[in-house]
Amino acid sequence: MGKIVREIKAVLNSYSEILFLESYVAGFVILLVTFLNPNLGGAGIISIISAYLFARFLGIGETFLKTGFYTYNSLLVGLSIGYLFKLTPLTVFFVIASSITTLIFSIMLYSIFSYYLKIPILSLPFVVISSTIYLAVSNYTNLFVNALYPHINFSFLENYIPLWISGFLKSLGTIMFLPDVFVGIVFSAIIFFVSRILFMLSVIGYYTGTITAAFLTGSYDVAFSDISHFNFILISIALGGIFLIPSVKSYLIAITGVIISTTVLSAIKTFWSFYGIPAFTLPFNFISLTFIYVLGVLGFPYMAKVIRKTPEETLDFYLTNIKRYRGSHNTIHLPFSGKWTVWQGFDGRWTHKGNWKYAYDFVITDESGKTYRNEGKQLTDYFAYRKPVLSPVRGRVVKVISDLPDNPIGQVDRENNWGNLIIIYDQRGFFVEISHLSQNSIRVKEGDWVEVGTFLGLCGNSGYSPQPHIHIQVQPSADIGSYTLPFSFVSYISQNRFFSNDIPKEGEVVEPVFPDKSLEIKMTFILDYSFEYEVIKGKRKDNLYLTVKMAPDGTFYFDSGKGQLYFGKYEGTFYFYRIDGEDPYLKLFFLALPRMPLFYREGIEWEDFLPVKIASGEIKKSLILFLSSFNHNLAQIHYTGRFEKDMKIYGRITSKALSIDEELQVELDETVGIKSIKFKDTHIKLKKFIHSKEG
Amino acid sequence: MKKIYEKPVITKLQTGFMNKFGSSPLYARKIRKDIDGVPISELVEKFGSPLFVISEKKLREKFRQIYNAFSTRYPNVQFGWSYKTNYLKAVCAVLHQEGAIAEVVSAFEYEKARNLGIEGKEIIFNGPHKPVEILEVAASEGAKIHIDHFDEITDLEKIAEKLGKQIKVAIRINMDTGIHPQWDRFGFNLETGQALDAVKRIASGGKLVLNGLHCHIGTFILEPEAYGREVEKMVKFAYEVEDNFGFKIEYLDIGGGFPSKNRLKGTYLPPDVAVPPVDEYAEKITESLYSNLRPGDFPKLILETGRAIVDEAEYLITTVFASKRLPDGRKAYIADAGVNLLFTAFWYKFNIEIDREVQGSNEPAVIYGPLCMNIDIIDEGTMLSPLERGTRLIFSPVGAYNNTQWMQFIEYRPNVVMVMEDQTVEVIREKENLSDIEKRERLPERLKIK
Repeated sequence: MGKIVREIKAVLNSYSEILFLESYVAGFVILLVTFLNPNLGGAGIISIISAYLFARFLGIGETFLKTGFYTYNSLLVGLSIGYLFKLTPLTVFFVIASSITTLIFSIMLYSIFSYYLKIPILSLPFVVISSTIYLAVSNYTNLFVNALYPHINFSFLENYIPLWISGFLKSLGTIMFLPDVFVGIVFSAIIFFVSRILFMLSVIGYYTGTITAAFLTGSYDVAFSDISHFNFILISIALGGIFLIPSVKSYLIAITGVIISTTVLSAIKTFWSFYGIPAFTLPFNFISLTFIYVLGVLGFPYMAKVIRKTPEETLDFYLTNIKRYRGSHNTIHLPFSGKWTVWQGFDGRWTHKGNWKYAYDFVITDESGKTYRNEGKQLTDYFAYRKPVLSPVRGRVVKVISDLPDNPIGQVDRENNWGNLIIIYDQRGFFVEISHLSQNSIRVKEGDWVEVGTFLGLCGNSGYSPQPHIHIQVQPSADIGSYTLPFSFVSYISQNRFFSNDIPKEGEVVEPVFPDKSLEIKMTFILDYSFEYEVIKGKRKDNLYLTVKMAPDGTFYFDSGKGQLYFGKYEGTFYFYRIDGEDPYLKLFFLALPRMPLFYREGIEWEDFLPVKIASGEIKKSLILFLSSFNHNLAQIHYTGRFEKDMKIYGRITSKALSIDEELQVELDETVGIKSIKFKDTHIKLKKFIHSKEG
Repeated sequence: MKKIYEKPVITKLQTGFMNKFGSSPLYARKIRKDIDGVPISELVEKFGSPLFVISEKKLREKFRQIYNAFSTRYPNVQFGWSYKTNYLKAVCAVLHQEGAIAEVVSAFEYEKARNLGIEGKEIIFNGPHKPVEILEVAASEGAKIHIDHFDEITDLEKIAEKLGKQIKVAIRINMDTGIHPQWDRFGFNLETGQALDAVKRIASGGKLVLNGLHCHIGTFILEPEAYGREVEKMVKFAYEVEDNFGFKIEYLDIGGGFPSKNRLKGTYLPPDVAVPPVDEYAEKITESLYSNLRPGDFPKLILETGRAIVDEAEYLITTVFASKRLPDGRKAYIADAGVNLLFTAFWYKFNIEIDREVQGSNEPAVIYGPLCMNIDIIDEGTMLSPLERGTRLIFSPVGAYNNTQWMQFIEYRPNVVMVMEDQTVEVIREKENLSDIEKRERLPERLKIK
């Protein structure tokens, strides 16, 4: 039963996908609307079903099919045939054949585009196949004998609506081959309901393009009567809200794209009309794909790396993640123990420049900021001198130099800039170099395997080092003096605050922490672990069952039946990554503990940011996100966690824009997971923990 | 101005030798007019003499210096404040604020720590004498109990049964680290296999969970390498226990015994030369840890340093009450504080400072305390210029063991004040009066003097 429902949803998603929506409800409404013209509706449904079945026959994965991703082009082709011909056995045959052709072509194009160009296929397969078909049918006289038919429409509505509005509505309807005011009204309602950003973009796109066309042609009537202007709507939506993160800059790009496309549209129409075929969505595909490709090549900062169901969600995800995950992928630990001070960071004042700008220098300072006691004329006066240097990564030692002398204060060794050093290869594909160690203090040799925290040697003053300090950098090769790569430090404390993965600033006092074994075990959730929670909300009592499952990409999640909460551990921090579905109780888990250091010290704080969708009501959320697209700093939801006594966690969620200021308490269980969460009048308590299905 | 008359003295002339007084024995003198900016005269005027003065600044500085020496070398360090060294509330509170937990060795000290607001699990409970009642309290409050002998294992197993839960414990071990005398009276001996027997005994009982090891090699240890050997033996033993018994040794308590900059009687070199800097101890200890621990394993390193932290943070101000000439020609001064307040005078030769500039060359002098007891000598041979009555003598370092081992004997105990970081002065222990001392006394009715 569930399987059939899933398949129906997949089919419906193909309908909504054409308007860049991923909603089977919207898809269902659109499906119904296509049946205003039964021939159109019929051809559509036949094409989609045949494409879907053929895709299954080829064994295309369910996850891909579910989105309607491969099949919406077939649907468009089917609609284009249904638009021309009445449904007869012959046209049905023709629809099925074309639909399968489109599917095959879509898959091929997808494979080529995604691999070589890193761009989507949009509705290019539809343009190619439908154009081909329209060219071909002129030969199929058999089709014309009894299949052509007059179109029924609600054109009477146009009498009550001014042209500049009806033009927009008809264009909108034309996307589904229904150039009709009524259909336009339904579609705009659907778009508005799903996403205000998309609705705004469709309006902006249409009017920008049409007015530009009117300027060029000199006739507003002609411009507003041209139903192929739906291309403007699609360009605007695709650029401004789907493939780019909604922002003022993206909106400007969308408008630019629309304006440019007016010429492209005219050109294509002139050329195509020789052969009696419409422009279809070719201008849209041409302009959008060009922009997406170019922006991708240029590394435009607002390219959407993860596209969610609506622009609002994409924006929410983007804004939250950009704040949540700072740092980099080249993550290393601080190479020492205790509190050290950043003397020089990236792009530093003295030596961290040019090719060597990604490097850190650390010293030890006293309360007044001095790095030495007495007068600082002796090496031994310096706090950093002969302090242990620990391995920042796990990997293999590939180079060691240890025989250079420690320079007396006031002298530097210009011959051997890097001094005594160790280079370690991290298997994630980078090298870490640590410099200026004390003469003959290095305890590892080339070929040794080291773990994070392995004792390497002692801090010294060899090489180009005016005072004892630790220099560390990440580089792409094992060569001494290689250029450097960006990196970041994981699991450290600065000013009583825990940082998961970040780049400390100059002058910051940092202290590395190492994961607590007991806490790490506590936050290890193995497949099929299940938790039974009791939820008390005011006077209501409820139950919540969570089971640990794994997604195809390898991430684990808690499944409550109604929603999925993804989690993971990375370099000393436990994270809830994201939540799918609608489960208010599951949301509370995310809300209560978006991340947690795997290290306990009373009073330690940490911060995080929550997606807007987690923390607010539906209407407020959509309004805030709509406004946020104009100002990305508008609606951040800030989370602060603090370890209290006995590993209890106190959390606080604040947001000025959303006027949120809530407190919550989390308790960890003795053995595994979360024991209780208190938030407002809701109290979630662990009742039972089951190791596996067998119990 | 009329020159004050000085009686001539004859001093034996020594040339070409090192001398044990540092610079010129005839004219060297140390003057201290204030403590952390608060004048000696003002302190005495307000709080009387004798007067113990603790410097909050120095106490915190000293703690941080020693703590940082270890924490910048090893990522998992915890200090336990040794209560017996100085358990005045204010001192303990400062050190707890700095992050130290409590290390106690008796029911009294345990209760004192709890009374100060320290939770059971923040207390290390050491010592050979832990009566069952307090042991039960400590066990139920989750204190870190360090077992000293087999009888204690039995006691704890009974308590575990009564409480109906397993109790986490550590054992104290003793070993040969090349230090004499070897402290073999506390804990279980390692070399004879007694320590391993204790682990076997604990494992077979099944009621206790071993999660730590404790050792304390001695006191005023001037040889850092001894700690390196201690750590090596402890780590090896810890892994032997982990591999064979399935216990996880979460912490290694290497005890204390680091010296302060005080001068033991009979040592020739001044402490600045004789006492190795704390960094040397830290270097030896952490190097030994790194070379013996398995990669990625950082058990908690606990240190119970007492003397090295507090000794130099406290001064005793005394006043010259009278002077006399002894038959052998030496000058003798009677100060208003003696061994009743300075228990450590039995083994230390204190640094003596005077509160004012004085005239005249130094002469050999003896400093007696106020007690009518022959043993009451603070310094039996030092060089001082002639001091007039009322001169203040400032003894230091006196922070370790004096405020705990002092006695109410013949005299009242004086005020103890703390010069706070903002240079205000707080009384942290009021001077005693008759009622304090007689409060606990009971005079039977029939003995009352009518």
